[in-house]
Order: sequence, then structure tokens, then C-alpha cells
Amino acid sequence: MERRGFLKGLAGACALTAVGAPTISLAENKKPKSPNAITYKKALEIITKGKGAKDSEKINLIVPEIAENGAVVPVKVTVDYPMDPNNYVKSIHVLATKNSNARCADVFLTPLNGKAYFATRIKLGGTQEVVAVAELGDGTFIKAQKSVKVTIGGCG
Amino acid sequence: MDISRRDFLQIAAALGFFGASSDLLAGASKRVDEITATDIMDFKPVGKVTLLHICDLHAHIKPLYWREPSTLISAPNLTGTPGFLCGKSFAEFYGVKPKTLEGYFDTYLNFEELAKKFGKMGGIAYIKTVVDEVRRDRGKDNVLLLDSGDTWQGTAVALKTGGEAIVKAQNYLGVDVMVGHWEFTYGKERVRELIDMLDADFISQNIIDNDPFSDDFEELVFKSYTIREVGGAKIGIIGQSFPFTSTANPKRFTEGWSFGLRLDTLQEYVDELRKEKKVDCVVLLSHDGFSVDQEVARRVHGIDFILSGHTHDPGPKPITVNGTVIIIAGSHGKYVGRLDIDIKNKKVVDYNYKLIPIASNLIVPDKRGVELVNELYKPYEKELNQVLGKTKGLLYKRDTFYSTFDALIGEAIHDEMDNEITFTPGYRWGTTLLPGDDILMDNVYEMTAITYPEVYTFELKGAKIVQLLEDIADNVFNSNPLYQQGGDMSRLTGVTYDIKIGAPSGKRISNLKVNGKPLDINRNYVVSAWGGNLQSAGENIRKSKIRPVYDITADYIRKNGTVDISTRSNVNVVDIGCGCPKAGGIC
Repeated sequence: MERRGFLKGLAGACALTAVGAPTISLAENKKPKSPNAITYKKALEIITKGKGAKDSEKINLIVPEIAENGAVVPVKVTVDYPMDPNNYVKSIHVLATKNSNARCADVFLTPLNGKAYFATRIKLGGTQEVVAVAELGDGTFIKAQKSVKVTIGGCG
Repeated sequence: MDISRRDFLQIAAALGFFGASSDLLAGASKRVDEITATDIMDFKPVGKVTLLHICDLHAHIKPLYWREPSTLISAPNLTGTPGFLCGKSFAEFYGVKPKTLEGYFDTYLNFEELAKKFGKMGGIAYIKTVVDEVRRDRGKDNVLLLDSGDTWQGTAVALKTGGEAIVKAQNYLGVDVMVGHWEFTYGKERVRELIDMLDADFISQNIIDNDPFSDDFEELVFKSYTIREVGGAKIGIIGQSFPFTSTANPKRFTEGWSFGLRLDTLQEYVDELRKEKKVDCVVLLSHDGFSVDQEVARRVHGIDFILSGHTHDPGPKPITVNGTVIIIAGSHGKYVGRLDIDIKNKKVVDYNYKLIPIASNLIVPDKRGVELVNELYKPYEKELNQVLGKTKGLLYKRDTFYSTFDALIGEAIHDEMDNEITFTPGYRWGTTLLPGDDILMDNVYEMTAITYPEVYTFELKGAKIVQLLEDIADNVFNSNPLYQQGGDMSRLTGVTYDIKIGAPSGKRISNLKVNGKPLDINRNYVVSAWGGNLQSAGENIRKSKIRPVYDITADYIRKNGTVDISTRSNVNVVDIGCGCPKAGGIC
């Protein structure tokens, strides 16, 4: 992978994550009416341009079963798909179904990324499903989801 | 004790119970007064490899009474499955007969009567006799002693020596490999010091450095596995420490370490051991909990044996899930699990298992162990042997919602703090005292010896109390074992409520009353809590009132002389009619 191409992909990721993050950070405790509130359904519709996404085992979403800290939940997404010049994973999206802004991260890739892989940390306002969506070379969307429990904890 | 197989056969013949030697539970069918140490040790050896297993000793180097639960409620889909069995449902599932040694060790049935006959359980000097006997019988190079953790914490000697007394006990027993959970509550630095003193390997594939400023960021904190040559075979042992340490115990002790189940990397290590390291047998030494490990066996492929721990279940017979055999050896030093494995052509072809009860009345203690225990207790004897008072009834821990020793602690906190509600944690470790027993300071520590013993008193809004209780209930009664943390429900003093176990998350609790009056969700209540995280959800913490729970409890017992604790639970379970239901919720 060329460093420039890699950086291009990453820059896109950072910019969009930065837009999303401050909104989510408000989601947890005080729950004000977020100006950027967006439901999971709506976010999925926007991302997939109304096409919807099919569940697929090609997306591997790695999240903890129980969050150690709801404010920084590690998320890893890989997509088992070619990264050829004409056929590659165009984007990876991370969504949290019950956050006031469900849209956590949008990452746009190029074939020069070499591998469809993205890792970040997201804030979860409570126990909910985390969803990873990917756009494939043919313009279709696939997704995978997993539940993450956010708890005050305590037991022996 | 020194009983060879030949001696055993002679004794067996004399007792006239030939044929019993092939029975895994030879002792089970015999009357109380007929049981001997030979019965305890009776075992049909298989192959050349023996793994001895201990778990959840909770620092009990001396024998104790430990009563198994009379209430063990779970989500409806798990009811009556191994890990959620007690009393009659346990006895029926495992074929344990009442009023036998196994009945006494494995269930609460006739506990007080049998306690008088069989006496105390566990103790390192007794464990050592059994371990040495197996080592002698099998040859010491053919035996490994594996410890599933929760070993360093649970008694005064452990707490006062920062865990060191128990590391000495482990070295004396000859523990080969261990994993951890409560171990981590001594803090990262102390854990490293103790591991330096420990002769055993401390392994964990599921603890990762999480400190972005550390040189080891995203690296393993401990070795993920160890490979041991035993009985001519190569055994790969992967470590799995308690996955939810950082949520169940204060984060400050493990700041910078990330836990979790990490089943994806577990699968990778299993594959690595099989394909690259060419081991003959893959063992997972685990502190996941019994029901979680059954789920792990469903999801991870290629593990031969899981040696489980954390949930304190005695498992008299192994269970097999997806080709993986799972064993668990109770708690508090009550048992040693013996697993013989026959390996041929680099494959496990047979095994035999027995949960050996450490019945202190029947086993001759190892002399050196008795001396070691005395030596470790010596500096603290004066304080620990103080008689604080007496108990009229049975004082016990365990059970899903209510236990008398916790009720006593709750009363003590209420008395000193002048609060409305007390939360006491639903740990599964502690002790049992028989009716009429003296309560020693040592016993109070057995219930409370933790590195964060502070009782906090603060204000909590009614709505928040409901939310917290629902949150805790969802950890205990979740239908997915992977979302359970393996404890019991927090105990509440000053509160009564109804609970519907099978109701959806967040909707289980109803009819919540504080001191007989319906809870007002808009009002602030004065709440005390210890051993958890609840104070972080409250406000106006009464800083001047913070005090260790063992001091509060000891003062209260001293003040009262004799304590008489009600055995009636403050929680009404709406959808289950007994404490130990069978599958389908049948009582």
C-alpha cells in the first residue's frame, strides 16, 4: 500500500469521526435534545441511499460483550472482500442503534488501502446493538451487528 | 495417609463392597458412618496424564464449613442446567444421594446435621495429602496442579499480608499454573510482586495492555499459554482470567489493562497450539464461570478440556459441550478435581474424572501444612481469635437474593449509618457458621476481607435505585451467559420487592417498598453500600462516615452479644415457586 493512498483513506475517516463524536459525547448522561439527533433507521437509510443493507458473514465486527467503559468502547471492523482497482470495499460505517446520534463513524476507502480494516472507539449511551455497514464494489451494502452491554457492574 | 490401590482393594473387600471401585461416586451409596478416606481417593486411573484442579479457594487455608445454596435462580432458558442447580435439582441431576458425604458437600440438604457428622471442609494441609497421594500413585512427572483463580483473596491472612500468605500456600501445594480475578484487586504492582514470589506460571490470553502511553500498548500483559510435558504428552494450557474484572471490581486496580472474553484470539491460540506447536491436548484454564464456559465451548472449537471456575459450582460429573469436556471444582478448598487423560497418537482417547471431597475428618492432614497454617496465622492470632458474639441460627452466604450473614452485615451498617437502604454485594465467597457457634473476628473477615472495604453512605434518587436494581438483575438473570457476570443479586436491607425473572430487561422489578412504603421515584434516599460501584451513582457522600465494613460488623456483633437473624428473604420471586427449580422451572 502506498503511504499517500493510505493517508487519504484515513483522513476521510478522521474528518467524519470528528463530526460525529461531539454529538455522541452528549448522549450519555444528560441527554439534551441533540441538534444532530439521528435515529439508526434514518442513518442507515442515508448511508445506503435507501437501499438497505443485508446481514453478511463477510463483515467481521469485533466489540466487547460487556463494555469496560461505555465512554470508549473499542470497535474493530474487517471486511472479507477484494480491494482490486475495479472492485473494492468503498466504505465502512459504524452505528450505535440507541445513541441519540446513531451515526458514529464513516470511513471511505480506496483500493490503495489494501485491506478493508477500521478500528476506533465509540461512546455508548447504554446497552445496545453496534452495527457495522460496508458498501461493496457493486454498490450493494452488507452489515453485521452485535450487542454491547453497558453496565455499572459489580458482583463477585 | 498412604493408601495404595492394593490396600484399597483389601479394605474394599473387607467392607464387602466390591464392584464399587468402578463407580465414580463410590462413596455416595454408603452411609455416613461407613465412609473412609479410601472411598474419597478411590479412582480408576486412565492413561498417563493427570490434571489436578482447584478453583476459588478464596484464601481459605484452614478448613471451614461451607453450605451450598438453597436458592439458585436463573433466566428461564438456563434453569435446571449445570451451573443453575442446587438442593434437590442438583442431587437429581448428578445422582447424588441425600445424607451421604457427597450430599453434604454438594447440597444444602440436611446441612446442619451432616456438618456435625462430617465436620469441616478443605484446608491446605488436607488438600496436600490428597494431592501428594495422587502424585505418589501416578508419579510426580505425570501430574499437574492447575488453579482457576480467586485464590489470593477472601480471608484476613490474605488481606493483611497483601496476598503473600496465599502465594506461600500455593507454593507449598505445588501449584503449576494459575489465572486470576480477585487477585487483581491487590493492584497491578502488587500482582507483579506476588507473581514473582509464585512458583506457578500466571497466564491469561484475555488481558491486554490498554494504556496508549505504555511501550506495551495492545500487547499481552501475561503469557497467553504454557506448554507442559506431562506423562510423555505435550499439553497446551491457555489461560483465561475473569473477563469482566474491570466492571465487577474497581477499575483503579487494573487501570491500563483491558479484559474481556476475547473469543476471537482464544480461537487463534487454540489453532496455534494444535497446528504450530503440535500439542497433544488443549486445556483452557478458566475463570469465566461455569455457564459462560459452556457458551465458550459452543463458540470456540478444538479445546479438549475446560477447567472452569468463578461461579463456585461443584461439578461431580464432567459435562461435554460441542466435544469439549468441562469440569469445575466448587469453592473454598472443598474439592480437588482429578482428571486422568489417556492420549494416543497425539489425540485424547479417554479420560476419567472425580471431584474429590476434602473432608477434614476423614483425611490425615499433612504435618508441614498444619505448621505452615499456624505460622501464617501467628502474627494475627490475637485479633482474629477474638470472640465477638454468638449466632443463634445458621449464618451463611450464597443464595440468589438473601443470606443470613449478609443480612447481619446489612443490619450492622443500618445501625451505624442510620440510613434507609443498605446494599451488600452478591459475592459468592464467605463462610458458614452453625447455630450456637461463636462469631470470631476471623469469621467477619471471611465475609468482608477485600482491599476496598469502605462503606459509603450517600443519597440516591428513587428512580436511580430502580434503574440500578434492574441493571444488576440484568447481569444476574440475563438469558445469554456471555452477558452474565457470575455473581448473585445484591442484598438489600430496608427494602422489599417482587421480581419476575423471565420479564424483559428493565422490567423485572415491581412493588418496591422502602421500610414498608412504596418507593417514591422522585425522592432522595439515604443509601449505604460497599464492595461495589454504587457510590459513584449517588450524591452528597457522607465523607466523615466512611468506615471499613469489617469494623462496622464487628462492633455491631460485640454490641449485641448474640445475633438472631431471620431466615426470611425480603425478595418475592413471582414466576418461580422454589429455590432450586428443575428445567422448565419445575419445583
